[in-house]
Amino acid sequence: MAGQLSLETPKTKRTKKTLGGLLVIRDSRVGMVGLTLVTFWVLVAIFAPLIAPYSPLAQDSSAINQGPSAQYPLGTDTMGRDVLSRLVHGSRTILLLAPLSVICAVIVGAFLGLVGGYFGGIVDEVVMRLLDAIMAFPTILLYLIIISAIGPSALNVVIAITFVGAPGVARLVRSLTLDIRTRDYIRAAETRGEHPFFIMFREILPNARGPIIIDSMLRVGYAIFSIGTLGFLGLGLPPPTPDWGGMISEARKYIWTNPLGVLWPALAISSLVVGLNLFADGLREESTRYQ
Amino acid sequence: MSRFIARRLGFMLLTMVIVSLAVFLISEAAPGDVARHILGQFATPAQVELLRDQMGLDQPLLIRYRDWLIGNDWKLRRLVGMPLVQKPVGDRGEIGWYAQAADGTLLQWKMRKEGLAELRTAPDGTKEEVPFDNWVEDEDGNSVHWGVDTANHVVLWVRDQVARETGVASAGRAMTEASGEQYFPIRKGLLRGDPGISQRTGRAVGPTLMRRVRNSFTLAILAFAVIMPVALVLGVLAGLKEGRATDRAISVMSLVTTSIPEFASGVFLILVFSFWLKILPGAAVFTSDVAPWKDPKLLVLPVLTLTLVEVGYVARMTRASMVEVMNAPYIRTAYLKGLPYRRIVFTHALRNALMAPITVIMLHVNWLVGGIVVVESVFGYPGLGLYLLDSAMFKDVNAIEAGAMLMVALAVGTQLLADVLYTFLNPRIRYT
Amino acid sequence: MDDHRPSTPILDVRELAISYKTRRGQVPAVRDVTFDILRGEAHGIVGESGCGKSTVAFGIVSFLGRNGRIVGGRILFQGQELVGRSEEELRRIRGDRIAMVYQDPMQALNPSMRLGDQMTEVLTTHRGLKLEAARERCLEMLDRVYMPDPANVMQRYPHQISGGQQQRVVIAIALLNDPALLIMDEPTTALDVTVEAAVLDLIAELQRTFDTAIMYISHNLGVVARVSSKVGVMYAGEMVERAVVERIFIRPFHPYTQGLIRCVPRLGMDKRSSHLYPIRGRVPSPSNLPPGCIFEPRCDYARADCSQKKPPLREIEPGHWVRCFHAEEIAQTEWQVPADLAEQLARPAGYDPNAEPILRITGARTYYRVPSKKLLTRKKLYVKAVDDVSLEVRKGQALGIVGESGCGKSTLVKTIIGMEKPTGGQFDFMGMDVSVPVSKRDLALIRELQMVFQNPDSTLNPSFTVANQIARPLIRFKTVPRDQVESQVLRLLQMMKLDERYLDRLPRQLSGGEKQRVGIARAIAGQPELVLCDEPVSALDVSVQAAVLNLLMEIQAELGSTMIFIAHDLSVVRFFCDHIAVMYLGQIAEVGPAEAIYAPPYHPYTEALLSAVPIPDPRAEQKHIRLSGTVPSALNPPTGCRFNTRCPRKIGTICETEVPPWREEGHGHRIFCHLPLDVLCKMDAVVTVNQ
Repeated sequence: MAGQLSLETPKTKRTKKTLGGLLVIRDSRVGMVGLTLVTFWVLVAIFAPLIAPYSPLAQDSSAINQGPSAQYPLGTDTMGRDVLSRLVHGSRTILLLAPLSVICAVIVGAFLGLVGGYFGGIVDEVVMRLLDAIMAFPTILLYLIIISAIGPSALNVVIAITFVGAPGVARLVRSLTLDIRTRDYIRAAETRGEHPFFIMFREILPNARGPIIIDSMLRVGYAIFSIGTLGFLGLGLPPPTPDWGGMISEARKYIWTNPLGVLWPALAISSLVVGLNLFADGLREESTRYQ
Repeated sequence: MSRFIARRLGFMLLTMVIVSLAVFLISEAAPGDVARHILGQFATPAQVELLRDQMGLDQPLLIRYRDWLIGNDWKLRRLVGMPLVQKPVGDRGEIGWYAQAADGTLLQWKMRKEGLAELRTAPDGTKEEVPFDNWVEDEDGNSVHWGVDTANHVVLWVRDQVARETGVASAGRAMTEASGEQYFPIRKGLLRGDPGISQRTGRAVGPTLMRRVRNSFTLAILAFAVIMPVALVLGVLAGLKEGRATDRAISVMSLVTTSIPEFASGVFLILVFSFWLKILPGAAVFTSDVAPWKDPKLLVLPVLTLTLVEVGYVARMTRASMVEVMNAPYIRTAYLKGLPYRRIVFTHALRNALMAPITVIMLHVNWLVGGIVVVESVFGYPGLGLYLLDSAMFKDVNAIEAGAMLMVALAVGTQLLADVLYTFLNPRIRYT
Repeated sequence: MDDHRPSTPILDVRELAISYKTRRGQVPAVRDVTFDILRGEAHGIVGESGCGKSTVAFGIVSFLGRNGRIVGGRILFQGQELVGRSEEELRRIRGDRIAMVYQDPMQALNPSMRLGDQMTEVLTTHRGLKLEAARERCLEMLDRVYMPDPANVMQRYPHQISGGQQQRVVIAIALLNDPALLIMDEPTTALDVTVEAAVLDLIAELQRTFDTAIMYISHNLGVVARVSSKVGVMYAGEMVERAVVERIFIRPFHPYTQGLIRCVPRLGMDKRSSHLYPIRGRVPSPSNLPPGCIFEPRCDYARADCSQKKPPLREIEPGHWVRCFHAEEIAQTEWQVPADLAEQLARPAGYDPNAEPILRITGARTYYRVPSKKLLTRKKLYVKAVDDVSLEVRKGQALGIVGESGCGKSTLVKTIIGMEKPTGGQFDFMGMDVSVPVSKRDLALIRELQMVFQNPDSTLNPSFTVANQIARPLIRFKTVPRDQVESQVLRLLQMMKLDERYLDRLPRQLSGGEKQRVGIARAIAGQPELVLCDEPVSALDVSVQAAVLNLLMEIQAELGSTMIFIAHDLSVVRFFCDHIAVMYLGQIAEVGPAEAIYAPPYHPYTEALLSAVPIPDPRAEQKHIRLSGTVPSALNPPTGCRFNTRCPRKIGTICETEVPPWREEGHGHRIFCHLPLDVLCKMDAVVTVNQ
């Protein structure tokens, strides 16, 4: 026999294929700009302790609410803490929490969407009505209610974003499932008497992968947006954790005396979200063009 | 189509019921005792217990949900033996509960040092206070009286029993004297237009809420009026020029502005227009009593902030829809019919292209609401969002519940409107 | 404006070349296409998918999208050059002098505009007519395309009328300005066969009365044979042969045309008396064309020179153009089945008509509940998709089920395989009850019933390799021990005439025919007793279709499996099946041995179906029977005989009130009709071929 037959696609091949799919981004100039911005912040987050000149919590009572100086390149905040150091360390928090909450939302949402879309009928009706009810809430209101109910903390921020994001993922996965379900290969699996969970997770899910990945990218951007908003509204991470939204909210009070204090974190969060969205959008554009 | 709309209405009702339950449960079941929160941490357990009684928190959950939703005055009137009515108190639009005697006199009762007094307001407005002596015997032989106090409770007073405890709530309002044996807060219920008393301010939630809603509405409608035309035109333009420079410029710009959180873009705008150029106020300095349109300059930056975020989103939706329609076979037909380009775009493409974004845009109202909360917070604009935010911080349950239900009703209502609009635009649904 | 000499062709296309710009560079989709169409002439263009026939049409109206461009040649329309004209000049011609009708009328009409507005705008734009005058003209035109109640139709939206009516509206729009050239691109492909026949009649009649030049594009040889007077055959972007219709179908010169005609079963051919000869290899991709003759790699007559030089399109007999160096020689010789092809020809299975039935269905009913459209009604509505069907399938038999869309044939098969739950009836399969859904069946039963699907693009899971797809049923049904799975997969692949290089390929790397073969391999992997084939070849090009049909025959011969074969193409069913059931509106109208169905006595519906089938032979004569009206709704089917509302042979109220009896002709041939058997037997044959 000429070719060695392998029944399982080797793992390396699968990952290569997925990464190969991501490589189309090279053809999108805007997408590359996004990727650069994201890479920048990821590197900052990884090497935060090396980059930050001070501890993000260290206070200098002799330099409170100052503008940029040689000692403090971006100035200090109301408690005399170095803005640059807080900014750099803040990227860690946000780049950890955002993807984590998106992964949770995708897991929960994908499961609900698959189950609802594949089984249909009363299961679908109940699941979707519940999700509709959640989605009927203005998202900010949901955050308000959830956080005011369970209190602000890193874990609760993740829970809140998962809760708010999962219905959207479920809807997407459900519509993908409804589409894929009608394909003949699903009918082939059914006529083979496959277990519903085999069909959902082995036959349907892999074919919904592309749109889910792109959607997740956009969701990470949105999660950062939300974490920032929560921080700004005082519903995010409790102080003194360095948190961009919280930094803006603090500095906002002193905008007339130290206008730059509010500018830096605002620039940081904007560039990160813009970068992520440009990247995700470029990816979406290029991958649909290939189909 | 009527069937379709009826279905949507049914779903809307269902959603509202689920939402009301969820809002009620989440805010009621939230950790931390509301009474304790109001009284502060130095209150005695007895005081807390009393306040819980006065607030009706000792009632079973289901009863509380019912009272909150449809009120309990219709039930409590049996205890008092007279109809319970609401009449305005003072000139701030506050409303108080009275028992109404057969001759139209409004009655309230108040425990004085010398015993229970009856406060009478005759139909012509004259007030008088007379000592009360109309006790009835209950089964245990006690002389008791069911009446209405001055803080909107139905109270069971026992003869010769004076105040048990008094205290001062942390929010600065004096706790009502606790002279009664049992307390039932009188509520008309949310569905009948009474969201209850704010625990933060001690005032009725309704009037405050209305003023806040008016302010937020002004902001939202102005923003909507700016966003829609701009976004639709940009989106249609980009869609028609798919892949060309115009499209790329519009698409990238709208993606960038959409990606910048409102609090960041608001801050940028304040820095540019108020701090450096000094041409616009950077914060809304007015109380919620003053109508926002009295000083339009205050509205410019908030509206601009909302516009920046929302225009991009709507424009991108419109663009995507336009691109799809322009590639549809029936547009090819129109082209092959030799129709002029303008006619193809305006008669054949636009209607179909605007169908999808209109529903998406209406669904997006949730997002706009979120934007408004943040923008109000950035500019200190006294709207519904800021009110909710403050209430949430304080765990002001009645205010949160009322504001939340209002927002959800608004959101679900616009979604229903979007569905109806869609069916009118789409003959495929209209005529089946 | 018609001052040109009558001999000037309306359309004269010379050496047309069209390219598309893609990421990989220029793709020459159409090269060196030359033909002309005279006034009043219907010129057919036939070819398989991707041969560039539609591109030529869109090139003529200069609608090539942003990446397509005419890179060479001329298009003379009424003597005037179209290539290089300004967009505004072309716009004035489009829809006025040149009109176009294409596939899928539902897509072609704007869903949110009233049909009347979509019609009148053509007149108001090009002729400057006032709206009232335009409406008058539209009404008149709708009348001419036999649209019932034209005034009403103009007020309606596209989705409110049937597919056949939509296509009539599209044709009416095209004819409004009395165009000199009408381009029709697969106008009937999306329609059912009886509707198609009526639309084709209409086209033929309009062509006579309007004296319009028609360019008719289709992949269906039968349809082209019916409407065209001349035919051009396209292959891989080039026109390879062009002649009057009789020459193309009876004495073609080009090896490709010959091959194409040998691929298609003609109505009346069966697998025992004749063969289908697929063309070997596959169509070259336009970005990787052979240097010489484009057909050379697949040609039985290829010589050395064919692979070096490009043959020109030359006129070897008056009016007969061929792109082949050796056409004269080929015309002389009788075609011999090449050795490699002979090997692939299937020997049909020997089937014993008296074998035991393995599947016996009695009184099968499958209803779907549909929500009522009215508000506040409690009445439950049911679509009676299958209503009282009784069938027997014998071991080793190939049972064909034919009928138009909505007749319930797919539902019947889905019910048998357990994807739909029957509402009633007995289903007995080898002593087991198959009226339960697949989720409640034993694995042993599941493996005996497997299915081959219609759409090659969705039959395989895009995420799995070919090896995985075929191995899954082997593992699931434990057909072979685990360690032999791999060798068994390879054996199955070889049976499908695919080699081991295919094992690691993903579906997107396969052609349509290859995907379908893998789908078949997957279905037969568990060695099922009964294979249900749901239109297995209808989405394939004819040359591929022939190969897949041969393959199915071979499988049946080798494994002795029984097959139920659904199709809408009556020629294919006749060719492939031993026994045939004709369905109409959820019921069987006629059932019997294949040869008995295609000869009198007929059920009146079968008769109408047969007279509608387009036959790729201009000599064939068919009785002209056209059904009136549309298929009634299965929600509320007619009482008595379901066909009574449209039956041309209706005898009276008995047809409306009483359920017809089964007329038994013997050999299992039964007809569900009130007409007595002797009347049915006196019917004439629908199709006769004049030699």
